[in-house]
Amino acid sequence: MAAHAGTGHLETSTGLDNKKLLMWLFLGSDCLFFGSFIAAFLLYRDRSLEVCRDLLALDPTNTASCVFASDTTINVSGQTFMFEGLWDIPFTSVSAFVLLMSSVSMVLALAAIQRGNIRNMQVWLLTTALLGTLFVAGQAYEFTEFYHAGLHLDTNLTGTTFFVLTGFHGAHVTIGILILMSIFVYSLRGGIQQKHSLNIELAGLYWHFVDIVWIVIFTLIYLIQP
Amino acid sequence: MATLAPPRRSPLSQALAGARHMAEDTSTIWSWLATVDHKRIGVLYGVSAFIFFLAGGIEALLLRTQLVVPENDIIGADAFNRLFTMHGTTMVFLVVMPMSSAFFNLMVPLLIGARDVAFPRLNAFSYWTFLAGGIFLNASFFTGDLFSGELGAPDGGWFGYAPLNLPEFTPGHGMDFWALGLQMLGVASLAGGFNFIVTILNMRAPGMTLFRMPVFVWMTLVTSFLIIFAMPVISVALFELTFDRLFDANFFNPDAGGNPLLWQHMFWLFGHPEVYILILPAFGIISEIIPTFSRKPLFGYPFVVFSGIAIGFMSWGVWVHHMYTTGLGTIANSAFGVSTVLIAVPTGVKIFNWLGTLWGGSIRLRAPMMFAIGTVAMFTIGGLSGVTHSMVPSDYQQQDTYYVVAHFHYVLFGGAVFALFGGIYYWFPKFTGKLMDDMLGQIQFWLLLIGFNLTFFPMHMSGLLGMPRRIYTYDSDMGWNLWNMLSTIGAFTIAVAVLVFMVNFVISLRNGKASGKDPWDGRTLEWSIPAPVPHYNFAQIPQVRHRDDFWHQKYQEDEEGNVVPIVAGAAIAPDAPPGGHDDHDEEEHHDIHLPSPSYFPLIASLGFPLIATGLIYDYALVPVGATLVLVGLFGWAMEPATEEE
Amino acid sequence: MSSVRRHAPRIIPAAALLILLGLLLSGCETDTPQNTFDAQGEVAKDQRDLFYVAMWPAIVIMIGVLGACVVLALRFREKDPNSLPPKQIHGNTRLEMMWTILPALLMLGMAVPMVAMIYEQGEDPDEDAYYIDVTAQRYSFTFEYPDIVDDQGRQLFVPAEPHIPAGREVVFRLHAADVIHSFWLPKLGGKLDVVPGETNVLVLKADAPGTIHGQCAEYCGLDHANMTMIVHVDSEEDFAAWVEEQSAPPPAPANGDDGEETEDGG
Repeated sequence: MAAHAGTGHLETSTGLDNKKLLMWLFLGSDCLFFGSFIAAFLLYRDRSLEVCRDLLALDPTNTASCVFASDTTINVSGQTFMFEGLWDIPFTSVSAFVLLMSSVSMVLALAAIQRGNIRNMQVWLLTTALLGTLFVAGQAYEFTEFYHAGLHLDTNLTGTTFFVLTGFHGAHVTIGILILMSIFVYSLRGGIQQKHSLNIELAGLYWHFVDIVWIVIFTLIYLIQP
Repeated sequence: MATLAPPRRSPLSQALAGARHMAEDTSTIWSWLATVDHKRIGVLYGVSAFIFFLAGGIEALLLRTQLVVPENDIIGADAFNRLFTMHGTTMVFLVVMPMSSAFFNLMVPLLIGARDVAFPRLNAFSYWTFLAGGIFLNASFFTGDLFSGELGAPDGGWFGYAPLNLPEFTPGHGMDFWALGLQMLGVASLAGGFNFIVTILNMRAPGMTLFRMPVFVWMTLVTSFLIIFAMPVISVALFELTFDRLFDANFFNPDAGGNPLLWQHMFWLFGHPEVYILILPAFGIISEIIPTFSRKPLFGYPFVVFSGIAIGFMSWGVWVHHMYTTGLGTIANSAFGVSTVLIAVPTGVKIFNWLGTLWGGSIRLRAPMMFAIGTVAMFTIGGLSGVTHSMVPSDYQQQDTYYVVAHFHYVLFGGAVFALFGGIYYWFPKFTGKLMDDMLGQIQFWLLLIGFNLTFFPMHMSGLLGMPRRIYTYDSDMGWNLWNMLSTIGAFTIAVAVLVFMVNFVISLRNGKASGKDPWDGRTLEWSIPAPVPHYNFAQIPQVRHRDDFWHQKYQEDEEGNVVPIVAGAAIAPDAPPGGHDDHDEEEHHDIHLPSPSYFPLIASLGFPLIATGLIYDYALVPVGATLVLVGLFGWAMEPATEEE
Repeated sequence: MSSVRRHAPRIIPAAALLILLGLLLSGCETDTPQNTFDAQGEVAKDQRDLFYVAMWPAIVIMIGVLGACVVLALRFREKDPNSLPPKQIHGNTRLEMMWTILPALLMLGMAVPMVAMIYEQGEDPDEDAYYIDVTAQRYSFTFEYPDIVDDQGRQLFVPAEPHIPAGREVVFRLHAADVIHSFWLPKLGGKLDVVPGETNVLVLKADAPGTIHGQCAEYCGLDHANMTMIVHVDSEEDFAAWVEEQSAPPPAPANGDDGEETEDGG
C-alpha cells in the first residue's frame, strides 16, 4: 500500500489530482506573465502619438514612427496630419470567433473521451487544432499586413508592445496546437483510453486559458481605443 | 492514470528503458545525471550553491581589496563594475535561492511524511536548468578580450536599471548573458515553486493537517506561491530587455517614448517578493532549530504561520520603497511609506515568538542553535535599519549609499546565510549518519559573527557619511577610510570562517561521530527514520496525530504539564512505531516503487543555454537548442514515471 | 562558576553598547564633505531629525532583542544533559496580540511625521526661489542659469563650479542626457534621481555661505565613482557678483582648459 510518488492516482491530501493542481497553478502564474505584457501595452498606449508629435514638430516629414492602431489626427505647428489606423476590427473579430469556437470543440472532445468515445474525441481534437491553426494563420496574415503598412517591432511603442504581446500569445496557441496534435496522433496509435481523460482535461484547461487571454487582449488592445 | 503508457514497447522505448536501468546503479555518475530522488537533487543543489557561494565570495573579496584604501588601483573601474554586478546576481540567484531549494528538496518530503515530491522529473528539471543558467551566466566572464584583461561579465548592476541596460550604454554581450541567464534561472525557480506547492498541499501523510505541518513547510509553501507569481513579472521584464537589446524594440528606450521607470516598477514588483523568497525559508529553518534546542515547542505557532502568510501578501504592496528617490510624487511615496512601515510588524512578531521559545527552555547551545540565535540577532539589526529606510524623507539620504548595503547584508547574510549554515549543521546528521564537529562549528560561528559584523556594521557609518554604493574608488578626504578598511578586514575574516566550515564539512563526512537517527532529541518526523535516510524515506507512511508528532511518540505530559518519557514496552502510546526494525529493513522494501530515473529533464535543460548562446552569437543554434528542449519534453511526457520491472 | 560567566549577561550587552555608541558618535565629526548629519540646509536638517525618530527606538529595540538573545540563552541553559524537557508552553495569545498591535501602533505613529514631511518637502517652491537647470550626463553635472545668457538670450553652461545663494530656496530642474543619474548634495538634503524623459525637481535651501560637496548616487557606468560636484554657497551680494561675472563674455580661450564647453552664438 506504498504511496506512489508523482503518479497522483492515489489519494491526495486535498482530493485534487496532482497534475490538475499543477495546471491551475501554472495558469495562475501565466496570468501574471500576460498581465505584465498587457500592462506595458496599456501604459504605453499614448506614447507613440506623443513621440510622433514631437518628431513632427522638429521635422514635418519625419513620419516613420507615426503608425497607429486607429485613425489619428495630429495638429502640429499649424499643420494637420492624418494617419489611417491599422486595426481591422471585423477581421480580428472573425479570428477571435474562430478561437472561441475552438474552445467549444475542445469541450466536446473532453466530453467524448469521458464517455469513452475515442473516435469522437479524435474528431473534436482535430477540429480544435485546425481552428487554432486557422487563428494563428489569421494572426500571421494580420501581422504581415501591419508590417507592410510600416509597423515593425522597432517602429514605435505600438509596434513594440503589440507584436511582443500578441507574439507570445500566438506562441502559447502554437504550443497548444502541438499538444493537441500529439494527443491526437497518440490516440491514432491506440494510446488513449477513457481512463486517460484527465490528460485531455488538462489540455483543455490550457486551451481555454489561452482563449480567455485572447478575449482580454482583443478587448483591451483592439476594441477599446483611447 | 496520469502518464500515458506507450501502446507497445518499440525498440526505441526498450533502449530508453535500458538506459534508465543503467542509471539505477546509484554508484555511477549516470545515476546522478538521471536522478529524480529529492535527496540527491537536494545534495546537487546544495553543492552547486556552495560552489557559487565561493565564487560570489571571491568576487566580494576582490571588491573589498580594491576598496581597502582610498584611490586604490588594484582593480580598475570596468572590472570592478562587472564584479559587483556578478557578486550581487550570484549571491541572490545562485546561492541563497538554490541553497533554499536544497533544503526544500532534502527536507519537505521528510517533514510531511512523503516518499518524494509530487513531480520528481520536474524537480530534476529545475536543478539542471538552474545549473545551466548559473554556468551560462558565469561563462560571460570569459567572453571578453581576456588578453587585454577585459572581462565579458555583465556590468549593469544586479538590478540592471534602464536605460543603462541598453546596448548603447552597456555594449558587448555581458548584459545579454545576464538577461538570458536570469530567464533560465527563473524557469528553474518556477518549476520548483509549482512542484513544492503541489507536494505540500497534496502529499502530506495521513493526519497531517495544514496546522500540524512544521513551520519550515509552511514557509516553503508561502515562498513557493511568491515564486510562481513574482517570477513571471521579471521574466516579462527580461524578455522586454532582451527584445530591446537584440531586436531594437523600444520598451525602455527614452528616445522612442519608452519609460525607464517601467523597468524599475517591474523589477521591484518582482524584487520585493523576491527578498521574502530569500528570507522566509531561513525563517523556517530557525523555526525548527530553536524549538528543538530549547526542548519546547515554537512559541505561538499560529502567529508565526499567519505572520508568514501576511508577509506573503503584504510583500506585493511595498515595491515602490525601492524607488522613493525616482520622483514619483508625494501620494505614491506616502502610500508606500505607510505600507512599508507596516510590513515590519509581521516580521517583528516572529522575532518575539522565537525569543518566547527560548524563554523557559532547556537550551543546548550546539552549533545549529548558535547560528539560529545569530540569525535572530543579526536579522533584527537589518530589519531595524530597514525601518529607518521606510521613513521616506530620511531614505532620500540613505538610498544608494552604503547604508543600504549594510541593511541588506544584515538581512540576507546575517539573516538568510546564517540560518542556512545552521540548517546544514542541523540536518547533516540525517543524511550522513554523522555529526559535524561541534567545536569547529562554534569556532566557525564566532569567526563568522565577528567577521560579518566587522564587515558590514561600519557600512552604516560610511553610508551616512555620504558614501554612495557601486563606486570603485573614493577620495582620501571623505572620512570613509577607516570604515572601508574595517570592512575589508572583516571580509577576510569571513573567508577564514568559510574555510573552517569547509574543513569541518569534509572531515565530518569522513570521520564524524556517529549520530544515530535522532541526535538532537528532535520533534519532527525526519528524526524518526534512519540516518542516512533510506531511498524510500519512510518504511511505512506515518499516521500523524499531533503537531511535532515525533516528539509525541517519545514524550507525554502528565496532568500538571510535566514532561514524561514514553517507555517502549511499558505504557506504549498508540502512535509509537513498533520497536527496532527500522535500521535493518533496507532489504525488506522491494515492494516500495519509487519513480525511475530519467535523462529527459537534463536533456531538456541543455537546450536552454544553446538557445541563449544562439540568440547572442549565431541564430543557427536556436533551432538546435529548441529541438533539444522539445525532444526532452516529449521523451519526458512519453516515458512512464515508473519503469515496470 | 567564574565571575566572568556570572556577569556575562551584563558584560556582553554593555560592551556591545559601548562599542556601538563609540561608532555612532564618531559619525558626529562634522568636517567630512558629505556627512549627512552635518546639515547645512533645512531639508537635510529635517531629514536627519526624522532619521532620529526612527533611529532611537531602533537602537532601544536592538539592544533589547540582542540582550534578550544573550540573556535568555545563558539563563535558560540546560543544566543537566540527562534532564527531561521543560514545560511545553505553546504560546500566550494575549502576549502575542500585544506584540503585534503595539509595534503596529508604533509604526503608524512614526508614519505621521513621515507623511507630514513628505508633503512639506513636496510643496511648491517659494516665490523668490532661484531656478537652475541641471544636466546629468556620463560623467558630470552641468549647470545652466536663467540669468547667465549669451547675447541672444540663450542659457550658458556654467564652466566652473556652480554657485547658489544662501538663505533662499534653490530649485534644481534635473535633466538626464543619457541614463539615470542621481543628484545628491548630502549636506543640503537627500537625493533625487535624474531620469531621461522626465524633469524631476529638487528644492534645497542652504543656511549660510560655504562649500557643499556632492556626487552622483545612481550607478551610471564606468566612471560613476568620479561623477562628483562642488557647489559654492554665497551671500546674496557675492552671488549676484558671481552671476554677473559669468555673464560677461569669456576671454579668448587660452589652451582650451575650461573643462565645459560654453555655447555662444551659433
